[in-house]
Amino acid sequence: METAQNLTDTARTIPAARMAQEPEAMNQKIPYPEQTIGKPLCDDPKMSMRNVNVFYGDSQAIYDVSLDIGKNQVIALIGPSGCGKSTFLRCMNRMNDTIDICKVKGSFMLEQDNIYDPKLDVVELRARVGMVFQKPNPFPKSIYENVAYGPRLHGLANKKFELDEIVENSLRKAGLWDEVKDRLDQPGTGLSGGQQQRLCIARSIAVSPEVVLMDEPCSALDPIATAKIEELIDELSSQYTIAIVTHSMQQAARVSHRTAYFHLGRLIEVNDTNTVFTAPEHALTEAYITGRFG
Amino acid sequence: MSNTTEQVRKSLKARYRSEKRFRAFGISAVAFGLLAVVVLFTDIISKGTSAFVETYIQLDIHWDPAELGIDDPTDPEQVNYADYDALIKAALRERFPDVEDRLERRALYQLASSGAGFRLRDQLQENPDLLGTIQTRWILADDDVDMFIKADAEDRQNTRLPEVARPWVEALERDGHTDIQWNASFFSKGDSREPEQAGVWAAVTGSFFTMLVTLALAFPIGVAAAVYLEEFAPKNRYTDFIEVNINNLAAVPSIIFGLLGLAIFINLFGLPRSVPLVGGLVLTLMTLPTIIISARAAIKSVPPSIREAALGMGASRMQMVMHHVLPLAMPGMLTGAIIGMAQALGETAPLLMIGMVAFIVDIPGGPLDASTVLPVQIYLWADSPEASFVALTSAAIMVLLAFLISMNTLAVLLRKRLERRW
Amino acid sequence: MDRSHFGQHSSSQFNEEMESIRSHLMEMGGMVEKQVIDALQSLLQGDSELAERVLENEDKVDALEKLIDGECARVLALRQPAASDLRMIISVTKCVSDLERIGDEAAKVAKMSLELAEQGESPRGYVEVRHIGNHVRTMLGDALDAFARFDVQKAVDVAAEDNEVDLEYRSAMRALVTFMMEDPRAISRVLNIIWSLRALERIGDHAKNIAEQLIYLVKGKDVRHISVDEVARQADVTRKK
Repeated sequence: METAQNLTDTARTIPAARMAQEPEAMNQKIPYPEQTIGKPLCDDPKMSMRNVNVFYGDSQAIYDVSLDIGKNQVIALIGPSGCGKSTFLRCMNRMNDTIDICKVKGSFMLEQDNIYDPKLDVVELRARVGMVFQKPNPFPKSIYENVAYGPRLHGLANKKFELDEIVENSLRKAGLWDEVKDRLDQPGTGLSGGQQQRLCIARSIAVSPEVVLMDEPCSALDPIATAKIEELIDELSSQYTIAIVTHSMQQAARVSHRTAYFHLGRLIEVNDTNTVFTAPEHALTEAYITGRFG
Repeated sequence: MSNTTEQVRKSLKARYRSEKRFRAFGISAVAFGLLAVVVLFTDIISKGTSAFVETYIQLDIHWDPAELGIDDPTDPEQVNYADYDALIKAALRERFPDVEDRLERRALYQLASSGAGFRLRDQLQENPDLLGTIQTRWILADDDVDMFIKADAEDRQNTRLPEVARPWVEALERDGHTDIQWNASFFSKGDSREPEQAGVWAAVTGSFFTMLVTLALAFPIGVAAAVYLEEFAPKNRYTDFIEVNINNLAAVPSIIFGLLGLAIFINLFGLPRSVPLVGGLVLTLMTLPTIIISARAAIKSVPPSIREAALGMGASRMQMVMHHVLPLAMPGMLTGAIIGMAQALGETAPLLMIGMVAFIVDIPGGPLDASTVLPVQIYLWADSPEASFVALTSAAIMVLLAFLISMNTLAVLLRKRLERRW
Repeated sequence: MDRSHFGQHSSSQFNEEMESIRSHLMEMGGMVEKQVIDALQSLLQGDSELAERVLENEDKVDALEKLIDGECARVLALRQPAASDLRMIISVTKCVSDLERIGDEAAKVAKMSLELAEQGESPRGYVEVRHIGNHVRTMLGDALDAFARFDVQKAVDVAAEDNEVDLEYRSAMRALVTFMMEDPRAISRVLNIIWSLRALERIGDHAKNIAEQLIYLVKGKDVRHISVDEVARQADVTRKK
């Protein structure tokens, strides 16, 4: 039978034969996109950065980055080491001012104010844009003093009871109050790593900032403490705008609304976290997220 | 057993041997150091302890107005300038009536210290009613008598006490009329040509004022310089140059600083010689590099994360330094400062250059009074011919060592106290 | 995206796991394709031995399904795959269940073949079976090829083919229903043919699903339940027809 002859042509049903038909692998280098892919800008930005270039001496650390951070949004900055994500974060509250050879070009706007306006005092800026660092770094003072430091510095509370209130509120927001309320006079450095980091978060939100920058806040913590901080970030996002730099892609995926991928000083792709982690548009993002960089 | 294991086993023995050898070297080095310290201390202590006590002889003093030359006891002038030595001489004549020869009498009078009369004067000024009475008094003995009494029976032959005087002293000793008492004047008097009257107090106060000036200048200047260099100065060729020079300055021989002080403070600015102020200035110059280097090390050891935290909270550079860096660096800086001070306390050479080597009898009342300092006093006494000064030198060394040890202890205690372990 | 894409992880262990999943999927695809071909042949040639063999091989397909699902679960748990890796795992698990269903449908065809061997040949319907069977078989092969080569164009074509299969199926049904009304004695035998056609049509649907999963894997876009033109637009390819 003719048809039956046709049907017995089963060469292709052998898997090896099928897989042998595949095209040759393409092993070329992935080029940078001309412009940031995805949606780097948004409608109601809390902070908006335009055409940012950062130099350390002669070497350029960041190339022409434009990015908006929406109000009450958590944006995660991810990318391989040395990609400029931390540098970019630190530029957002002028922490790079302390490095002499660091030159920042481009505009950084916090709502209507230019962050790099010489008239804008850096003290005021840092009251509005708080920062939490990689290593938990509580001051070697009591828990109370740690949280009260910012409000005192900026004169936010004149009376003892006002200060007490701020301290309690901040610790509550940081989810630390119940753990430390009986030992506020004890050293902050005596807490566990995760508690210390939450203390640092409480310390930064004590001055009611508008934006909180977090530079790898969980890299020194165990998974349980990390989970608590992530939960906290989620809660805080209803009141604060948060930018978080992280090396843990899972963390970025868990806590952020938007994700920005930096690669060697370039902002490759910005998109909803969902999109970035299921179907990133650019091959570099894809390669980083799926663990294809050595 | 694999080849590697075999090889390793073979080499193990050699390794253990060399390790043992190395440890033995270390232990012997430490032992040598300890031995040196023990020898030094036992030598100094064995020589010096006798200087902390001195010999007195008991005499019956007749407060004879005629002998004293006082006709009006209410006149302070007369009481002040009366001849109290005559009373002692009379008492000695009374005690040893057999001595008639003029030369022998002079030897007899020298049993008592030349300064003993001043104590009688002090007693009379305190209590004028003594006049005309006869009292038993302990009179300070001459240093030769002192040496004779303190010496062992065999060694007495070799003391400087003249042959004629020996039976008298032995007689006094037999009757229980000699006594060895606590040498309070050593800690309350200034220098003297007479060893039994010489004290270390002038040198101690001189050292104190010098150290006060040094501390008051060197610590703030040193800390300020360190803070500026560490926290504020831009890193460029000039600051590198300054840093190199500070390090070099720490290695400059101290006598150079003395010459500098002589040239600048005394010749150029016209400050008086031999005063603690100039000494303090010179020692400030000398200790500054030490303090700056240790303070910088202390500031460097403050973790950068604390600085970042403070800056991130909106603190200015100054607030960051004042609120966080300085309190954390303070124990280290204090220790450095105290060690620098201890170094300055033991310094002699630069002070010789600015004239603090003078013979100072009076206790200085302030940093502008001429004075000497402990190490210079030691140097002076070590140079004196009288045998008794050997004991005094050792005693002064012990005082200096006590000061150094207590300062170092203070450094350790301050460090322990201030260092936050959190 | 090409095959080497999944061999570039920093972790070579991960590479091997992904490769293993892929080759198992291809093996399962080949096995299922063979089942379909054998079932069709047994029906068309009345070869009940072949039909028995198809029913026996069904277990092997099921075992492979379990194996691949286990591997996928393992990768999900241990590697937390993201982006293309994640899509790979998701689409593989879906393809596996589609392939298993295709295997079931092939078994159904084989059962019908046995029934017909007992009851005697159906008077009508073999032309339709051969026609639709060929069509569906090509679709399945193309879908698996597309999967092996990450060939989006081919996948879009497969998705488009399914509409034609549906049309052919409907016209075959009309013809057979008309025939049954004319000759009620043959109803039970023709019904067996109809069940077989139904099974083949389902196989076409599953092949289309596999093609859609491939488009999701490569393009990251969900193209289920939309028109073929829309699929082509989303997949960035031009339609041939």
